[in-house]
Amino acid sequence: MTADPNNLKVIKEISRRDILFSVATLNESEVLVGSSDSNVHRMNAQDEKAEVSELSGHTSYVTGLELVGDQLVSGAYDGKLKWWDLEKKAEIRSIDAHSKWIRRIELSHNGKFLATVSDDMVCRVWDATNGNVVHELKGHQTTTPNNFPSMLYCCAFSQDDRFLATSDRVGHVVIWDLHSGKEVRTIETPDMYTWDPKARIHSIGGVRSLAFSPDSKQLVVGGMGHVGNIDHLGGKSLVEIFNWEKGERLHQLADDSYKGLVERLVFHPSGKWFIAAGGDHAGFVKCINADTGETIRDSKTSTHIHDIRLKDQQGKLITVGHGKIVLWQL
Amino acid sequence: MSKRRNWFCGSEEHRISRRGFLGTAAATAGSMSALNLLREPALAAELKKQDKRVILLWLAGGASQLETWDPKPRRPTGGPFAAIPTSVPGIHISELMPKMARCMDDTAIIRSLNTKDGSHGGAARMMHLGRRDEATVQFPDLGAVLARELGSRDSKVPDNVSFYTATEGRGNAVGQAGFLGARYLPMSLTTNSRPEDLARLESISDLEHKQRHELRELLSNRFIEYRHSNSLRSHNEAYSRVRGLMSSDKLFDISEEPQSIRERYGPSLFAEQCLIARRLVEAGTPFVKVSRAWWDSHGQNFETHLELVSELDHVMSVLLDDLKQRGLLENTMVVTLSEFGRTPQINASLGRDHFASAWSCTLSGCGIKGGMVYGATDEDGQTVKDGEIDAGDLFATIYMALGIDPHSEYYVGSRPIPLVHEEASAVTEVLA
Repeated sequence: MTADPNNLKVIKEISRRDILFSVATLNESEVLVGSSDSNVHRMNAQDEKAEVSELSGHTSYVTGLELVGDQLVSGAYDGKLKWWDLEKKAEIRSIDAHSKWIRRIELSHNGKFLATVSDDMVCRVWDATNGNVVHELKGHQTTTPNNFPSMLYCCAFSQDDRFLATSDRVGHVVIWDLHSGKEVRTIETPDMYTWDPKARIHSIGGVRSLAFSPDSKQLVVGGMGHVGNIDHLGGKSLVEIFNWEKGERLHQLADDSYKGLVERLVFHPSGKWFIAAGGDHAGFVKCINADTGETIRDSKTSTHIHDIRLKDQQGKLITVGHGKIVLWQL
Repeated sequence: MSKRRNWFCGSEEHRISRRGFLGTAAATAGSMSALNLLREPALAAELKKQDKRVILLWLAGGASQLETWDPKPRRPTGGPFAAIPTSVPGIHISELMPKMARCMDDTAIIRSLNTKDGSHGGAARMMHLGRRDEATVQFPDLGAVLARELGSRDSKVPDNVSFYTATEGRGNAVGQAGFLGARYLPMSLTTNSRPEDLARLESISDLEHKQRHELRELLSNRFIEYRHSNSLRSHNEAYSRVRGLMSSDKLFDISEEPQSIRERYGPSLFAEQCLIARRLVEAGTPFVKVSRAWWDSHGQNFETHLELVSELDHVMSVLLDDLKQRGLLENTMVVTLSEFGRTPQINASLGRDHFASAWSCTLSGCGIKGGMVYGATDEDGQTVKDGEIDAGDLFATIYMALGIDPHSEYYVGSRPIPLVHEEASAVTEVLA
């Protein structure tokens, strides 16, 4: 059984008191979630009681989780990367990876490399098994054009692990050659960033999510469209699909039905469709045709979604966000 | 609390003669024995007020106390930022303010404001006036009172200047002179950091302008000779200051500052306006409000504060440092104030909403005991657990620090009106 977007439906919701920023799946029933309480929680999402155990050691929001073999790697706003022994519930290694918030960690498809992006505006590529630095990628400005601190939100490996894309607050996307560590292409997505120079004199937005298509030809970019009142996440959710090698935008999908940030993008292995999830005060999950840009199926959620995991073989999707874990059938 | 009657009767004549006397006294202070003057307590108090100034950094829209002066790290309400130690042992502030952390010695943090009003409009008015208008009385705001109390009649610089060049929230923070009259309204800069139309028309020579001014003054004085109108006097006073104000045009021109100073402040509009504020107080302007909008972070509170607090931290620390290096901080108070704070509860947009129950402000410099925290909130920042104060208490503290008796009275007709509401009392713990 593989995931089919036409089947999208919620099968279980688990309410939480904390805000969940990241999720990893151990098996069909066990999940790990990165929390605003600075801990990683391991829980059985199938059980009605969903008993929780904790891995503690971070000192701020846990924003990234990846499984490297039988170890878990977590990244947090405290700038640290931690390797965990899940059997012993013990910390194996802790690295001061960045001087500012780690916004995202991503594992390469071959499982050898971890990429981290941080508000220090550096992307570091690590040997996933020993924590050694492989590349230090600096291609994003530390400040916005209006002299405020910029933010480096996300990264994504291409399916063949030849390329890594990174993106920032002002909508600047860089595609790096992972072998050489050099920039190979930049893409601008100015509609993802709102600077209000008159009413409020500050900004909102940025590119919050990236995903390469399985054939590595498309790069999908997610964020939020221009906002009038930037006190709120009042902009249309926005996805742009690029033929990144040509620097050509194929589709711009500004959704009137859903406001807020597209926080996560995940391609189905077939390459025919992808999932976009995020939200404003509430949340959404959308399945989008990668060729036409049309929405195949979408669904509202009660709270903002910060991370997702697609379990294609099981036809399952797990989303986590503000006070909620949601299990979906696809 | 005892209410003391001010020696000053409030009449126009008394005020003018008092200012005249003080002007003379100040001019001859070098040759007169200060002791002789100080024997008279009222006069001593008046002299104490001379040359005092205030810069209000108005953080419009409601800055979060949790991401500035009252962090609650590792609590569910605390948000993602850490708290960092400051130059004063035991005091921690948000990690977003490393520069202020290094120069806390001159700043008192008040963490116990409970002002009850969570609406932008009503709260902004209250935090400008220190109380609410009554049906029959419009009160003067802080700027108007200080222009009146600290300004000098023949000053060549404006005595109340307000920068608010963002548009959001501007209508909530307009100057109000109330019963003091238009003379004390601020020079409001809303579109530019320099006053428009202040320069003399090129088609008129300076001599012609002076002659026109003198003719207008002659006619005006004849007109009001047998009339008793505060309004007329108010407008006449405003006109009489025109030439002085015109000559102050260059104070708004930061190109007159050395490049190194401009670079220290930085390129943002807020920074440039704070540099102008420093130029103004250095030249004798008693009250300058620099409004920084807009802190209303219902969504993405942490990223909004990452932008705005980083700017505030830099600009405020440079401003305090600059004032100190110039010997001005001793006589200049810097206040950071909003209409309210922000909710401890983090909403689903990673935002914080309006919150007036337990929030913070700061006072630095003139008359303030720096390096201290007054008041406290509970572990999650939901309530004030110690030292609760309201807007009137805060205003009483500001006045007291400036050498102004907060319970001195103005008269509206025959009605005595104290500077602060009757229950208000100063936080003496923060007074130097």
